[in-house]
Amino acid sequence: MTRARRDPRSERAAAARPGLTRPRFELFARESGRRPRRNPRSETLAQQVEGPSRLRLDRAQTGRAAAALAPERAEPAAAPAPTTIVVEAPAFLVAVVPDLAGGRLSLHDRQLFDAARTLAGADGGVIALVGTEGAEFGPAGADRTARVAAPEGYDPDARAAAIAAAMAALDLRHVIFPETPDGGDLARRVAVLAGEPLFADVEMVAAATLMRPARGRRVEQRAAPARLITLAADAVAPYAGAPREARDEPLDTFAAPASAILSAERIPADPARTPLGLADFVVSAGAGVTDFDAFRATAAALGGTPGASRVLCDAGLMPREAQVGASGTVLSATCYLALGIAGAPQHLQGIAGCDHVVAVNTDLHAAMVERAGLAIVQDAQAVMPALIAELAREREASA
Amino acid sequence: MKVVVLLSAGRHPVSGLGALPRLEAQAIRLGAALGPMRGLHAGPDAEAVAEALGRGLSEIDHVALGAGADPVPALAAALRAAAPDVVLAGRRGQGGDETGLVPYALARALGATLIPDVIAARPGSEPGVIEVEQALPKGAARRLVVRSPVVLTVHSAAPEPRPYAFGQVRRGRIEPLAVSAPEEPAAVAIAEKPYRARPKMMRGAPAGGSAADRLKAATGGGEAVQADVMVSPEPREAARAILAYLRQVGVLPPPARAG
Repeated sequence: MTRARRDPRSERAAAARPGLTRPRFELFARESGRRPRRNPRSETLAQQVEGPSRLRLDRAQTGRAAAALAPERAEPAAAPAPTTIVVEAPAFLVAVVPDLAGGRLSLHDRQLFDAARTLAGADGGVIALVGTEGAEFGPAGADRTARVAAPEGYDPDARAAAIAAAMAALDLRHVIFPETPDGGDLARRVAVLAGEPLFADVEMVAAATLMRPARGRRVEQRAAPARLITLAADAVAPYAGAPREARDEPLDTFAAPASAILSAERIPADPARTPLGLADFVVSAGAGVTDFDAFRATAAALGGTPGASRVLCDAGLMPREAQVGASGTVLSATCYLALGIAGAPQHLQGIAGCDHVVAVNTDLHAAMVERAGLAIVQDAQAVMPALIAELAREREASA
Repeated sequence: MKVVVLLSAGRHPVSGLGALPRLEAQAIRLGAALGPMRGLHAGPDAEAVAEALGRGLSEIDHVALGAGADPVPALAAALRAAAPDVVLAGRRGQGGDETGLVPYALARALGATLIPDVIAARPGSEPGVIEVEQALPKGAARRLVVRSPVVLTVHSAAPEPRPYAFGQVRRGRIEPLAVSAPEEPAAVAIAEKPYRARPKMMRGAPAGGSAADRLKAATGGGEAVQADVMVSPEPREAARAILAYLRQVGVLPPPARAG
């Protein structure tokens, strides 16, 4: 039995209009969950214009007609405050090891929690194995949180050993990693260290089956969930249920083994040499820029990677590698500064992934101005020297 | 410094024909700068890796294995005999299960340190030490000094592979190599069927939103509602607004403090 059986007799009785000599029924008001039925008669009545004797209808009054047609709907009650879900004694634990790049949960990290929830089912609990404090794991879907020791500097083997130790101590049924450069590396280290099979790059998650592509994406492999799993990006939606408590789970400290890495030093990106597709901040020139020495000086002063529109690259004024857009490079930058670019659709496709856009353009109605978070309607040729002068003034003020 | 490059029987992503994976061709270029280098392949067919000869290798050792067999014991035995200082590999060998576990399992079997995503490698200042550069997101890098032996997996930002040369393929040699390693059967039988692409989640699209909302999420422009537009400001005023915005976004460092 999948749904309650309908009783058409009592439904009709409920729709009866009382106080009339002959039986009449208000069948439109029936809340059937379906699209409301149109009544052309009452729609026409609602469109009638008061006044002279002959019948006049205002067909443009769609709003009034719709109001006449739609039965009164109850206002949806305010959603009750979400209550925290507490799992007192989970039968088993499914662990999530988020990347936490920059100390925050990325979208990919949040998707791991949903996959873990699928594998945990109603009885299990989801535990986040994290190295640092700071992020909120309860709303992301964690029942428990455990701190695994984060080594100083770059020592992935020590981190893998700590996770393998936690896996044994907490008797974890599954451990899920993101298939990112860092997460994938860690998952494989743990797999080799613990001697457990790894089901990598999973693209479909169900309670009893996982699917991953193999042999150049020509076949897909299905198997029961392995103990170690890496999850591909955007394969499942992020966890969207009620928040969970993320209770702290005590974990014994773990002594890291000696490392063969003698030193590690981070080299910040050089914006002038970074490939456009990887750059974090792109300063781009369009047909509104004529002085390219000033443009390059501006890009260098701001620490941005120089880019250009197709028009400039076709004219040979900027190198082809600098072209942004559908036929050039599609960016993954955080911020995009467009100097004198109106914003052709193909150009806007190239910057669809940018979080923030600043536009400098003489045309108030340009598409780039509409796309931008900060738009300056001014000649880019005048703004570029002003930017350099302003940065120089700041340097002088601090010196 | 002795170098071994691991080669796999890759397939071209579009045509499906046999091809050397690009990362392995880049690994050959990285290894050439370190010292004498040999290729190593374990699989049923030696001809599958002949293209690597044209990319700068002169000798390849081939360990004959049945199709679908685990290559790790055979490769580990071959590498123990060769005892290289540096083993280079792609991020994931192609043609098999493609879990990317082989370099890690070999590093453990050899007692070597594994460094992923390498874009440059050179001998260190003292013997037995190697200096590598590792790619990080957004174009940053990390310079590491590591004691050998090391297993390095190559990142796509490493130098371009050498151009293919047909004469080198004719001159190069692929030599069969016999190793004594137990051939283990696959642990778990995994059901396989032809791959079917599935829809991916759309980033930023609201749950239950309309088609128009999804299109807007796909083409960007979510923030345009709150756009801050300055019409014909003084250039200096505009420059200040731009710098303030860039600092708020976090791509420009705040001005240095006086003193």
